[in-house]
Amino acid sequence: MNLLFAFVFLVCTVLLLGANPENFLSTLLDAASKSGTLCISLLSTYSVWLGLMKVWEKSGVTQAVSRLLKPFASKLFKTDDSKTLDAVCMNMSVNLLGISGAATPYGILAAKLLDKAPHAEYSSSMLFVLNATSIQLIPTSIIGIRVALGSANPTDIVLPTLITTVFSTMLAVLLTRIFIPPHTEAQTFTFFKQRGQVCNE
Amino acid sequence: MNKALSFLVPVLFLLSFGYALVKKVKLFDTFAEGVKGAIPLVTSVFPYIVTVTMLSKLLDVSGLGEQIARWLTPVFSFTGIPQEIAPLLLVKPLSGSGAIAVLSDILGKYGVDSYVARCACVAYGSSETIFYIGAVYFAGLKRKKLTLALWIAVLSYLLSTVLCCLLCKFM
Repeated sequence: MNLLFAFVFLVCTVLLLGANPENFLSTLLDAASKSGTLCISLLSTYSVWLGLMKVWEKSGVTQAVSRLLKPFASKLFKTDDSKTLDAVCMNMSVNLLGISGAATPYGILAAKLLDKAPHAEYSSSMLFVLNATSIQLIPTSIIGIRVALGSANPTDIVLPTLITTVFSTMLAVLLTRIFIPPHTEAQTFTFFKQRGQVCNE
Repeated sequence: MNKALSFLVPVLFLLSFGYALVKKVKLFDTFAEGVKGAIPLVTSVFPYIVTVTMLSKLLDVSGLGEQIARWLTPVFSFTGIPQEIAPLLLVKPLSGSGAIAVLSDILGKYGVDSYVARCACVAYGSSETIFYIGAVYFAGLKRKKLTLALWIAVLSYLLSTVLCCLLCKFM
């Protein structure tokens, strides 16, 4: 990212020097002020949805969703360690409910725990693929931006977004199952070894 | 359909707040506590949004962006993706806040309710920051063999973008 930024920035600046150098500073300032306006509209969107999410959390909705996901997650990730599943389910349910920034801490925790799971390569890949193509029920930030810019119908993108995101996730999960299968000799061995350790503790 | 969706949000709030009341949640305090989280979230993305917006404006003004888009035209016309959203598609896998900057630029340029803008919205909403997630989630792991998973994610991203532009034509 840093290299890309430096490269593109320099090329653009050189091009501008050739064409109209007086535009350089005004372009940068204009960009910064536009971003300020954008951030204020994001602040309003996040305020509304983070408020609602906290209410969900306190009234147990988030936990209920994650409990619903548990049997499904256990099949998908081929593990039945309850701590790992908790992290995975919280990660998935926050992803489902919208703001992906909130999913990151759970995702990192889940990644750490899955690294020690029986089929580490398979389940880590599955976690990555699920997050990288995450299903979103309500695309909150986009609706917010569309409202802020005066769209006649800010929610008309919800349905196509849902279809597309479900499609990409299903495709990715399917491909992961096919190309990174969970069963190999060596991994089964470490699985039993770890099981043994758990029993000893 | 769209009429029904505009009922969705108020009904969602009604149900959530009603349920929270039954569960004896202190609604005022809880909601306010949630809102508190919005400020750090925005301040954490603000610098990246500014930086990427500057870069994308520079791309525009210098004419380099147009040049890149012209090189990519054959690819896009083959898949049915409008080439106006090319910058968004390139930035999104790398940075979410950067992509928001590019998205709002596209919305401003072509009108919020135009076909291009709606494609951009759906493409943004249905994808994730693939490389960013790969870096953040799996940075400290011992067994990181995610190359194949990365390719799977990128492939799904590309195919779903083609699908999204198709869907936006009908919906």
